[in-house]
Amino acid sequence: MSTADPAQAVAAGGEPTEHPGSPPAAAVRMSGIVKRFPGVVANDGVDFAAALGEVHALLGENGAGKSTLSNILTGLYRPDEGRIELDGRAVHFDSPRDALAAGIGMVHQHFRLVPTFTVAENVALADPHGIGRRQVRHLRQELAAMGAHYGLAVDPDARVWQLSVGEQQRVELLKALHRGARVLILDEPTAVLTPQEADALFVTLRAMVAEGRTVVFISHKLHEVKAVSDRVTVLRHGRTVGTVDTASCTTTDLARLMVGRDVVFRRAERAHPVDPAAAPLMRVRGVSAVNHRGQPAVRQAGFELRPGEILGVAGVAGNGQRELAEAITGMRRPTAGSIEVGGSPVRLGSVRAAHAAGIAHVPEDRLHTGLAPSLSIASNVVLTAYRRPPASRGPFLDRGYIRRHATELMSRFDVRAPGPDTPVRLLSGGNVQKVLLGREFASDPKVLVAASPTRGLDVGAIETVRRLLVQAADEGRGVLLISEDLEEILALSDRVLVLYEGRIVGDVPAADATAERLGLLMGGGAVSRDVG
Amino acid sequence: MRSPLRFERRLRQPKWLSLAVPAGSLLAALVLGAVVLLVTGRNPLSTYHRILERAFASQSSLSGTLISATPLAFTGLCAAVAFRMGIINIGGEGQLFGGAILASWAGIALGDQPVWIVLVAMLAAGAVGGMTVALIAGVLRARFGANEIITTLMLNYIVAIFLDYLIFNSKSYWREPKSFGFPKGKQVGPAAFWSPITIGHTAIPRGFIVAVLAGVVVSVLYRTTRFGFEVAVIADSPGTARYAGMRTTRKIIAVMALSGALAGLGGASDVGDFRHVLDAKGLQLAGYGYTGIVVAALARLNPLGTVLVAVLIGGLTNAGYALQGPDFPSGLVGALQGLILFTAVAGEVLVRYRVRRAVPAPVSAAAAGPPTPPVRAGA
Amino acid sequence: MNHNLFVVIAASAIFYGTPLFFAALGELLTERSGVLNLGVEGMMLIGALFGSWASQHVGGPSWFVVLASVLIGALAAAVLAAMYAVLAITLRVNQTVAGLALTIFAGGVGLSSYLANSWHVALRPTPHPIRKLDVLGLADTPVLGPLLFNHTMLTYVSWVLAAVGWFYLFHSRTGLRLRAVGESPQTADAMGISVAGYRYAHTILGGALAGVGGVFYSLAIVPTWVDGMTKGAGWIAIALVIFGFWRPELTLAGAYLFGALSSLSLILKARNVHINGSILDALPFLATIVVLVVMSSGSMRRRLGAPAALGVPYQREER
Repeated sequence: MSTADPAQAVAAGGEPTEHPGSPPAAAVRMSGIVKRFPGVVANDGVDFAAALGEVHALLGENGAGKSTLSNILTGLYRPDEGRIELDGRAVHFDSPRDALAAGIGMVHQHFRLVPTFTVAENVALADPHGIGRRQVRHLRQELAAMGAHYGLAVDPDARVWQLSVGEQQRVELLKALHRGARVLILDEPTAVLTPQEADALFVTLRAMVAEGRTVVFISHKLHEVKAVSDRVTVLRHGRTVGTVDTASCTTTDLARLMVGRDVVFRRAERAHPVDPAAAPLMRVRGVSAVNHRGQPAVRQAGFELRPGEILGVAGVAGNGQRELAEAITGMRRPTAGSIEVGGSPVRLGSVRAAHAAGIAHVPEDRLHTGLAPSLSIASNVVLTAYRRPPASRGPFLDRGYIRRHATELMSRFDVRAPGPDTPVRLLSGGNVQKVLLGREFASDPKVLVAASPTRGLDVGAIETVRRLLVQAADEGRGVLLISEDLEEILALSDRVLVLYEGRIVGDVPAADATAERLGLLMGGGAVSRDVG
Repeated sequence: MRSPLRFERRLRQPKWLSLAVPAGSLLAALVLGAVVLLVTGRNPLSTYHRILERAFASQSSLSGTLISATPLAFTGLCAAVAFRMGIINIGGEGQLFGGAILASWAGIALGDQPVWIVLVAMLAAGAVGGMTVALIAGVLRARFGANEIITTLMLNYIVAIFLDYLIFNSKSYWREPKSFGFPKGKQVGPAAFWSPITIGHTAIPRGFIVAVLAGVVVSVLYRTTRFGFEVAVIADSPGTARYAGMRTTRKIIAVMALSGALAGLGGASDVGDFRHVLDAKGLQLAGYGYTGIVVAALARLNPLGTVLVAVLIGGLTNAGYALQGPDFPSGLVGALQGLILFTAVAGEVLVRYRVRRAVPAPVSAAAAGPPTPPVRAGA
Repeated sequence: MNHNLFVVIAASAIFYGTPLFFAALGELLTERSGVLNLGVEGMMLIGALFGSWASQHVGGPSWFVVLASVLIGALAAAVLAAMYAVLAITLRVNQTVAGLALTIFAGGVGLSSYLANSWHVALRPTPHPIRKLDVLGLADTPVLGPLLFNHTMLTYVSWVLAAVGWFYLFHSRTGLRLRAVGESPQTADAMGISVAGYRYAHTILGGALAGVGGVFYSLAIVPTWVDGMTKGAGWIAIALVIFGFWRPELTLAGAYLFGALSSLSLILKARNVHINGSILDALPFLATIVVLVVMSSGSMRRRLGAPAALGVPYQREER
């Protein structure tokens, strides 16, 4: 199917059936949903219907309105207009409580778990029964049984913060099952999983729909949607583009529907190949670091970064990426090891020293570490340069220079904003990232450490950011690209390191790097074999 | 429980709001205060009229108002400089006491030196006194992460007890040895009386001029210097400050020192301009430190605005003293100040959000008829 | 004075610790819901004032007057807490400043003093003070008598409340939900728990308990009205919550420790022990700072157990 016809695509109600493909009864039907936020229409007349016993994917890029739609279905937001039906009956959700009672369960992208509670307590939280000893014993047995049945084993007495991200996701699923959710919504569930873990999740989801539940699978990853769903509804700019049978279209079709034009992220074209004989720009040796709880997070990491090289660091979230980035950029003092840039050692644990050595940092959590959101663009572009002339003279800032400098960066990096005095928090995600990248590029760094630089951006902004990273490498800088998004790593890197439990367990040249191979390493599957 | 109001984050903050909000807050506080007055059987209009008259109507009352405003300007600045970095120093009270203790010591010890030397010495001593008290909390916060709200507050009580100790419970340097009956403090020397500068018939206390200068200095410091830039970044995002290599701990200590020094100057002015003695009871009754927080909040932490608002609130305080009696009980002024702080905080909401009535989600035309029984919790 | 010093100190620790515990338990419940109310001092004073006023104006048998005074004091403080709750929960203002505003408004030189002067509450001592009981006639039993059988009714109530509070927080479903609201309001909200509802309820309940603590000052400790009579007890109560790791039973122990410190100067003076009174007066405040520093530093901090969302307003539709 090459064009989407909503009228044809949105399945009409019909006889209940277990088989996807034939016109199924809508377990959930949302029609004409409109939701406005200040300055944004997040949903603008969305139509969506999922049948009983199917995995129905909701596909769309960031900002297309997927999360808003699911938050409406779970009662968190109230739609400004529109109608929701469950099994053909109109429903009206005033709060999540109503949606829960109607059998709708959701696994949010950012888990809704109380970290200090045990697994059992988290499950009991929405339980209509008490939490006496008898009920708790009951709950334990039930969790064990469900865990075995669906492949969701997890210790009921463990505290949630002690669990891995994958295990936490299982707790979310158990919670929904325990409440008897008939419709289960998962928001970007694979973002935190290795490809292998994602496959296991898909098996679990198939087991759920086989029992007559409905799964709504929200994603922007085409191959996953292709792999797991029966049908797909595509959203773009807050509107429904159409609903299609997954089997009837290719990932290219889906991509076109999602973006509205042909966009495929190909491997980036590079001006110069990396010279393997060149002296390394940065040499990291035996670096170890602890996390904020004082537990070891990076263990004996060592690697070299050559001029013009994009070195990808792959890994499942929480395997030491953040700590590694912070150790290199001076935000965290390593417990062991050394770092050299351009042959001379860098004083560890000092942001200023790292900066002076030519290490620039694009942090993961842009708005809390990297930018001061309430301050102006002008203030933010001198966040590191304010100490020296020309941004300051003696103890005083040169506001005139700072504004000129900001205006110049804004035009060079195409930052769309009314002016340099605009507070950063009012900018869109893409423009925020451009401010940050612009500032870091302006310091003319030798090494750029970029952590999840495209997370949460829309397709246009992702292209821009990737282009800037490639450009940086082409200018002879070294780029350390830390990302949980394998597609991104594969699209940009010349070489890929894999982090697992704080160790570098793989060092794979781009030519040999495939999602399968990296995925295996990310799960700790081939530790002995691939350590170089 | 669903609120009938909805808050939409403002995308832009109109300029007029920064004046309208404090004015509106003041008005709202007066309305709420009127309710209190009515409940207790008093006529709000005549009460407010009397306050206004006593605060600003004549030149002598204006002089009194400026005397009351001076320490408030300092404690207001003390609160503003700290709050702007997100350090909640509510120890202006104790820090002012600290300043008064050292300044009165300087005034007693150097009381027969040339006037300008004594003035400078008292100001310096006051600043050091306030700074010392503030630094205890500042170091505990920077070094151990001890919550400064509680520590500065506890220090208020501790310094107050120390003040009582100096005058009532010991034979200290500050106590007048020759006094009979109720113990009191030793008067500072003649050169330590800060004679006011008279313009027309209004006496402007020297301390007030120092306060205006301090307001200007703080304003310049926070708007145009690297230090001020760092304070703004730390206040907005501590994580980003760390990312930019700013030394947050040092900044906490520096800001606390500055904050305490400002309150200490207020203590010096209380001794030099007003009481000329370390008045343990009088200082505690005045509650300058807490009122300073009201002043700073109403001025939205703007240093020059703080000095201006101090005059306004100082007028209220002054009238409170002047009118105090059976038909104008003490406590009224304090209650009004509390209300002003309440409404000033609530007013900030209007700066950040646009308040709308929440409209229930309209159902689409098809479903607008008699409502099909909706599925609800427990239904 | 035949009892040994330890028994005397312990007994008066319980007496002076009782109002601290009421106020601290109230703040504990409020904070467990994620709301930081720094207005405890103001709420206690208003409670004390209304309790004192009620004991002068309510007629009837003594037990009834005392009961009515306690309830009226609690109610008045709860009304203040409700005002604060509107600001903190619905309007989502800065909780620190709003709490300060509450204390300045109601505090020793504010509304409580104004009303006391307007209503002439201060002029006479209360005709119906809260008295210590002689439970089962065992008050004169050596050692155990003063420790267990010779307290005011409110002290016994506070013991029950400590147990009930512990059960409520850690063994009831409502308590589980309350803790979830304080730890992760997003989670609670997604579970269909009303975040604002829980916060309102526990902020108001916290105010009522602070009010009871205040009544204890004006009807049992002093027992008459004096401007600013709680003398910082409300602030100490806030520190006690931290000291007690946000647990009722530990907070009770902390309250008695501070009760002992507060009563020390009176006891030692009565026994003609010559220590400068000023040092003893400052002791509870110094101890609060010391406790706070110890609790805040290094390894202790990790085990603290402060609700993760404490002081953070919750807003659902944030984009």
